[in-house]
Amino acid sequence: MEEMFSIFVSMVPVTLAQSLILSFAVLAVMIPFRILAFADLTAEGAYPLGGAACAVAMLAGIPAYLAVLIAFAVGTLAGLATAFIHLKFRIHTLLAGILVTTMLYSINLRLLGRPNVPLFRETKLFDYVSFGPQTANLSRIVLVGVLVVLVLIALSYWFRTERGIAMRAVGDNPDMAEAQGNNVNRAIYLGVGTASGFAAFCGSLMVQSQSFVDVNMGLGLLINALAALMIGETILGRRSIGRQLAAPFLGSIIYYQLISLCLAAGLAPSDLKIATGAFVLLMLGLPILRKQGRGERLAADKVRE
Amino acid sequence: MLRIENARRTFFAGTPDEKVALDGLTFSLDRGDFAIVIGSNGAGKSTMLNAISGALMLDSGTIEIAGDNVTRMPVHQRARHVARVFQDPMKGTAAGMTIAENMLLAELRQSRARLRPGLTTARKARYREQLSYLKLGLEDRLDTQVSLLSGGQRQSLSLIMAVMGEPDLLLLDEHTAALDPRTAALVLGATLRAVEALKLTTLMVSHNMQHAVDYGNRILMLDHGKLKLDITGDEKRASTVASLTDHFSVKTDRMLLGG
Repeated sequence: MEEMFSIFVSMVPVTLAQSLILSFAVLAVMIPFRILAFADLTAEGAYPLGGAACAVAMLAGIPAYLAVLIAFAVGTLAGLATAFIHLKFRIHTLLAGILVTTMLYSINLRLLGRPNVPLFRETKLFDYVSFGPQTANLSRIVLVGVLVVLVLIALSYWFRTERGIAMRAVGDNPDMAEAQGNNVNRAIYLGVGTASGFAAFCGSLMVQSQSFVDVNMGLGLLINALAALMIGETILGRRSIGRQLAAPFLGSIIYYQLISLCLAAGLAPSDLKIATGAFVLLMLGLPILRKQGRGERLAADKVRE
Repeated sequence: MLRIENARRTFFAGTPDEKVALDGLTFSLDRGDFAIVIGSNGAGKSTMLNAISGALMLDSGTIEIAGDNVTRMPVHQRARHVARVFQDPMKGTAAGMTIAENMLLAELRQSRARLRPGLTTARKARYREQLSYLKLGLEDRLDTQVSLLSGGQRQSLSLIMAVMGEPDLLLLDEHTAALDPRTAALVLGATLRAVEALKLTTLMVSHNMQHAVDYGNRILMLDHGKLKLDITGDEKRASTVASLTDHFSVKTDRMLLGG
């Protein structure tokens, strides 16, 4: 028990750095899903795409801070593709995302030329904020922490502007939003595109953090992000846009500490998926169980959600 | 203010289910006209409102609102001219957003949404005043989620939102039909006051003949996608529920005879 605890504590900084980076992927899942009611899987493909684009850019001598912006832009294109497939051909959002993610796998391999590429000599973003030897995690936490705060401030401003409020209406009641003069398609392109941009941005940060890119790095990202989102929303609720925006970040931090706790407790890495699945089930099931405990009946239309 | 010329729309064309919903519908409304639209089920009332709002495109014909040809214009562009209250209170508001946010959306109907803060103090004060006319206490609940309101409160909010900014054309689609009698009277009263005060050009669909007799300055009766009756002036003032239902019964008799 004591040993488990000390392992867990020793892993806190590295896990925190990881979870801050991955919180952008959770945000990328949250925005289409919760704000636009557009269940989107593109993040799973946009994340390695961002990693690949960033790596290719850095290998070509482009500085790290530009490489992450390139990754963001390329990821945005992936999201736009998903939105286009859905809006143009009326294909279900989930299928549209699966199609794009599948195709992105080939594109990512083409970009990289081989399944994984190391980035040892290139200057990473984190090298700009070094606090001395043996402080790699600290510089990651500080740099990504600052990015998280900036993104949170920017998004909570945006979603309270006229255009941001109009975008939220598109997710809430598209017919009404349209009748009030909002271009629904444009809002979906903007929201889904930006979200995938964040997923790719997340991938580019991760690649720089781990100093290599792997074409399979996106595997399971989505379910992790979803688990983190559910935890964040369970704690903060979804009553206001501020809480909704903070949920991905808080959820990510807590979720990855829980995973780290599982590892410290001796769970094999290959068993983590079942733990993740259990977390998601628990978070989704808790409110229902609580309701049933109070003797409330569930509306029939809520049962399948 | 509104001009509909030879509007045609056929559903399921070329199949045994073919239905001509609008069959050369032609009429116009002057500025300030308040027309009650009546007609039996399937007469084309809803299709007409959908065609005017842009939710449905015409096969042929033209629609002009305030001198602007909107025939091919998508819903979100027509929103500059048209506001609509639906029968279903859920349709006209965004449930997951607050009362104030919903009102902001309505206010933005006639202008472009910009990258500036949405709910300013000045705006909220204005919304509070506008809501106070309803006397439902909604003015103290600006930050309440609309999903927490009753059907009547939501419909009253939809109405306030629709008349905000004085639209060129107000469409009321049996907007009190889903409410209990007391609430329906309340919403209808607010509607009449707003239409009167703002001199709004209004099309109100109703199945209630008494409404057609009591309110507005015109009665439009649709039948099989055409305008069957256009009652105005003295004739409108002289109309009674009985004289209106006669027109229905003639048709029903004919239907029974297979004509």
